[in-house]
Amino acid sequence: MTRLLRALLATMLALAAQAADYPPVVPGRALSFPADEGSHPAYRTEWWYVTGWLDAGNGKRLGFQVTFFRSRPDLDTGNPSRFAPRQLLFAHAAVSDPGVGRLLHDERSARAGFGLAEAREGATDVRIDDWSLVKSDGVFRASIPAREFGLDLAFRASQPPLLHGAKGFSQKGPEPASASHYYSLPQLQVSGEITAGGKRLPVTGSAWLDHEWSSSLMDAEAVGWDWVGINLDDGGALMLFRMRDARGGARWAGGTLRGADGTVRAFAPADVEFAPERNWRSPRSGIAYPVAWRIRVGDRVVTVRPLMEDQESDTRKSTGTIYWEGAVEAFDAADRPIGRGYLELTGYGKALRL
Amino acid sequence: MSAVPLSLPRGLLARAAVLGPLAQAPGRAALSIIAIALGVALGLAVHLINRAAVSEVSAAARSLSGHADLVVQGPADGFSEALYPTLARVPEVAAASPVIEAEARVVGTRETLPILGLDVFRAAALHPVIAAAAGPRGDALFAEDGILLSASAARALHLKAGDTFTVQAGLTRMELRVLDLLPAGAYRQRLGIMDIAAAQWKLGRLGHLQRVDLRLQPGAEREQLRARIQALLPAGVQALTPEDQDAQAASLSRAYRVNLTALSLVALFTGGFLVFATQALAAVRRRRQIALLRALGVTRRLQFLYALTEAGTLGMVGAGAGIALGIAVAAVALKTFGADLGAGYFPGVEPELALTPWEALPFFLAGVVTALAGALVPAWAAASAPPAQALKAGDEERPASPSRGWRTGLILWILAALAIPLPAVNGLPLFGYAAIACILLGAVFVAPFAARTLFARLPVIPHAGYQVATAQLRGTPAQGSLSIAAVLVSFGLMTSMAIMVVSFRASLDTWLEKVLPADLYLRTGQSGDTAFIPPEAQRLIAATPGIARAEFGRGREIFLAPDKPALALIARPMNPERAQKGLALQSAAPVPAGRTPVWVSEAAADLHGLKPGDEVAIPLEGAARPFTVAGIWRDYARQTGAVLIDRDAYVQLTGDGRANVASLWLSPGAAIGEVSAALRARLPAGTDYEIASPAEIRAVSMRIFDRTFAITHLLEAVAIVIGLFGISASFSAQVLARRGEFGMLRHLGMTPGQVGGMLALEGGILGALGVAMGLAAGFVVSLVLIHVVNRQSFHWSLDLHLPWGLLLALGLALVCASAFTAALSGRRAMGPDVLRAVREDW
Amino acid sequence: METPLLSLRGVSKTYAGPRARRVLKDVHLALRAGDYIAISGESGVGKSTLLNLIAGLDKPDSGEILFEGKDLGAMNDAARTELRRARMGFVFQAFHLLPHLTVAQNIALPLTLNRINSDAAAARVRALLEGVALGDAANAYPAELSGGELQRVAIARALAHRPALVLADEPTGNLDPETAAQVLALLKAQVRGDHAAGILVTHSPVAAASADRVYLLTPEGLVPGNP
Repeated sequence: MTRLLRALLATMLALAAQAADYPPVVPGRALSFPADEGSHPAYRTEWWYVTGWLDAGNGKRLGFQVTFFRSRPDLDTGNPSRFAPRQLLFAHAAVSDPGVGRLLHDERSARAGFGLAEAREGATDVRIDDWSLVKSDGVFRASIPAREFGLDLAFRASQPPLLHGAKGFSQKGPEPASASHYYSLPQLQVSGEITAGGKRLPVTGSAWLDHEWSSSLMDAEAVGWDWVGINLDDGGALMLFRMRDARGGARWAGGTLRGADGTVRAFAPADVEFAPERNWRSPRSGIAYPVAWRIRVGDRVVTVRPLMEDQESDTRKSTGTIYWEGAVEAFDAADRPIGRGYLELTGYGKALRL
Repeated sequence: MSAVPLSLPRGLLARAAVLGPLAQAPGRAALSIIAIALGVALGLAVHLINRAAVSEVSAAARSLSGHADLVVQGPADGFSEALYPTLARVPEVAAASPVIEAEARVVGTRETLPILGLDVFRAAALHPVIAAAAGPRGDALFAEDGILLSASAARALHLKAGDTFTVQAGLTRMELRVLDLLPAGAYRQRLGIMDIAAAQWKLGRLGHLQRVDLRLQPGAEREQLRARIQALLPAGVQALTPEDQDAQAASLSRAYRVNLTALSLVALFTGGFLVFATQALAAVRRRRQIALLRALGVTRRLQFLYALTEAGTLGMVGAGAGIALGIAVAAVALKTFGADLGAGYFPGVEPELALTPWEALPFFLAGVVTALAGALVPAWAAASAPPAQALKAGDEERPASPSRGWRTGLILWILAALAIPLPAVNGLPLFGYAAIACILLGAVFVAPFAARTLFARLPVIPHAGYQVATAQLRGTPAQGSLSIAAVLVSFGLMTSMAIMVVSFRASLDTWLEKVLPADLYLRTGQSGDTAFIPPEAQRLIAATPGIARAEFGRGREIFLAPDKPALALIARPMNPERAQKGLALQSAAPVPAGRTPVWVSEAAADLHGLKPGDEVAIPLEGAARPFTVAGIWRDYARQTGAVLIDRDAYVQLTGDGRANVASLWLSPGAAIGEVSAALRARLPAGTDYEIASPAEIRAVSMRIFDRTFAITHLLEAVAIVIGLFGISASFSAQVLARRGEFGMLRHLGMTPGQVGGMLALEGGILGALGVAMGLAAGFVVSLVLIHVVNRQSFHWSLDLHLPWGLLLALGLALVCASAFTAALSGRRAMGPDVLRAVREDW
Repeated sequence: METPLLSLRGVSKTYAGPRARRVLKDVHLALRAGDYIAISGESGVGKSTLLNLIAGLDKPDSGEILFEGKDLGAMNDAARTELRRARMGFVFQAFHLLPHLTVAQNIALPLTLNRINSDAAAARVRALLEGVALGDAANAYPAELSGGELQRVAIARALAHRPALVLADEPTGNLDPETAAQVLALLKAQVRGDHAAGILVTHSPVAAASADRVYLLTPEGLVPGNP
């Protein structure tokens, strides 16, 4: 879902220059692969977002996330400089290790250019310096040498892309103008290495890749969102989200379920109801996050609970945002585990304004 | 009988020997203290001012490059931005931050604003401050009219966040909006930060960078990597460490600083000399007092120690006062003139004054040691006098001699002659200064000999005052020598400085006349590296009515060696035949056919070891091009050197047809004012340029010159005052010693006026001899200053110009002042108590 | 009646010293040309003050001092200096010869001051040197002479310009008795020989005895005395 945090930067542009002419997200645009796996630079925002659970042996389980994010500033510049900020790229990576008890995370940011930071069109190839997410020979590879850890992971798709909303047109609010093009690659098979504390650990696991692009995502009433994506143990995939208004109520909601048999069901706002089960208050920021949820999806109830409580990402120094993003386990109504995935909670500290 | 309480403190003898004399002659003690204090104060002030300036400049340089481990620095017109990804991809490079540097003029003020163009994302790794300041509005910084200002820039320009102001950079004038102010501690210097893309575009730097700051991976070996990175760089671009940057900042003003420090040493030397003079005379005056103490049982060694203790006390009080005075002087000077005392090395820097006790200690010790050294010889001589003889009346006149004879003087002069041809040490003319010290000191040693010789030949005139005066001079050549030496040193210094400054000024004037042959000059604004006259404008200028001929020149910055500051490269129409006419050529060599000639300035020749006929590789557009040195020319404008090539050759090599300067010759009958107006009307509005006549340029240059040398005049005045102090000290002591004599002369029927006239005559004769010797010594010193010190410090040759009228007038004034000072010191001789002095023997 | 060379009438002078007020009270004295007197008295009684008044170096608070009939009190300093230069000679206890002038030059000093041409001066100096038996020391410097010799030079200097009055202030104070006696005799002989008057101020009875008359200076005035 919306890993828009850094995109908020772009929204603050109050420039004398002409505003950028962003293409609208309209229903009916057919997504084609692998072309749409590449960058869509005309749109305002775009991200490739990989989350997943890793098995490091001895039953040690870790969560990870790797995000590459592209933003086209609201600035139609005539500046011929190669440094002109036509595209900005950001990357964020984190590892959740219950043994550590907090997120290990790092980030990169750059303006695109000079081959140092680029997001390629037509194929997944996005990189900032030595951080990259590239698809080649049908395999996605993430190489993330970060400050406290390193990720060197390969992701193999076992299923076709899962298109959200109406064939990839995902509405985010009451107005159809608030929407994105959005598909996921769930049930990715992970293999590779994670480096931490000077040790290299071979890991396997399963992951989920989101690719989403848009020009206008949040409407004026929305202050944040809750999102969850679960790789179900039976081979299915479940994505649920809701946009929150200032009173904490649901302004919009939606979701997609692909069954083990491949049947896809899209959920309308009325089908999805988020109910917090437990709050956790960050000792650093003082913000309370509902880190466990009971979510009604049509006639089913899914409960999600975190791998560990403290998965707060504080990026206030660089982007001014703080949010919770972490590995969660999913349970059915009888509290039986049904899958694992990631939960994202934004706009809890203060409203995110577009 | 009631008992009177007796005060018999411990150390009575020491008190009698040390404090007694001080209390007895508070005036003399004060004089010594003042002299020491002046020397210490001057030295400390120069040190403080300069340290504040240099540390400010290097702190500024460091803050600009943030936490960079290496800085890839290009000349002012930069290098291709294609270098940036190459550097960023070097594996050991953790972060690479590209930088645009420019200087923009703030329209409506006389201020310029240094502007940095940064990529905030890249700079964040090296400048946490920028990251923090820009973070919350990261993208706002992309605004093409947005700028972040340092606190001092905002203060200087009277701007706050949200304000707009107009700057002129290159050909364009643009309005900027203050996005925010950087935290006060972030950059002490005046500075604005823009987005690199906006800076490249708006400042006319598309495709170029001035700098890439590099942060290395932990554990990377810096020096090794520096060599590898240097190999990647085109000619003229250097990989520098922050230490290199410091050294460049310091080297900029080093020669200037050393010159000032040498002047303060001169002051200290003069102060020490004055202590010597007063102590020598005090020893004479207290001869019998000392003899009495010796007769009472004080050993020679103890008496010597007492005398040194006295001098040490004076030294400590003087040095302490000097340190306080030095701090005050530095504070006032920094506030009033800025860190470079008006010399223009450190514009836009706001230095702060700070002094630790450890730093003050050497200056304090210098003051004390000077006092002790000054007292050493007279104290030993006084302690060594046989007490029985000294107790006898009429034995005053065997004072400590300032010299062990003229042989010492000759040896010093020989040493000076040997030191003069020696080269600079580490770029500093240390041997030149040593030679100057030897010349002056030698003259001081020769002075008694000269005095004896002269006094023996003074004509006999049957005039009582004259007879007594000349007899006194003949009888006490040593005492007279003190006065002579004081005047000699002060007038010598004044003469040498006056000759040097006048020579410099006259040479500059002649030079300006030579290098400004045209009728009118048009040059782009102060932001020289961004402002150009493009080819279209050149055609427009040349075609302006009233202009008969127009020549265009291009100036830019290049690096010839990584450890030397940048040089100016000047491209203008040149042909070898004309070089002699348009340049102040000092030497020349024929250039073989097929070679491209380059004319290098004296500074460039000295700094880079070039001589006519040499081959030199000049980096142009990233490639080292071979040139042959056709000649060496005099250039007072660029201290770090300049190289001049023909403009056609330059355009051919670089394709750069732009210009910075136009030299314009008017048609017969055309008026400068009308042509200027026509030029202004034709050039595009908003172009940043100045039009000036040679007369105006000369006036401005001379004004800057005079301001730069203002400090020298102050030092001259100080030297003269110290010289007069010397005369005053000498005569005050003499008058005290000769009170009986004056009383007798009054009894014999001399009027107070006659006694005063006699003293004035003595002072005048001594002053005249001092002035004559000072003139001779000063002339020789000025030659050393011009041909050795100045040449080695600034790499400028000067033509000798002697301001005879000025020197004679000043000399005459000093002779009169000496006579007046002597008479003034003798005022006591005219008082009634002198009459009783005839009966006051003890 | 012949005008006295010097007459003091009711001269008083007071000035404060650090410990006591020194007072010269109602002093009367008449001195004719050729007189040779001594003034004696205790230390601190005002002998030097009296001498300064006579020399015109100071003025009395009351009373008058006439020298050759002219009132010193009515003259300005320049006139008194002129008078002193031309008509008086001085001998001091500490000799006060200029160390850097030769004996002859020291003696010639008053002649030069009185603008006597050098030939006449040379002859006069030679005669004086013979008179004080120092003919062979003409070109010596004071430092080379003994105390007695120095005072003989001083006597010659005092008489060089043929003054009418020679004032000698403790001229033998720094000398041994034998030398003192020789100097006193010489002084008297020289003063007599030049037809000058002499005032010898001394606290030494032996010295005072060399004079024709002796006066005693007391706090109440100058009284004739017998030492």
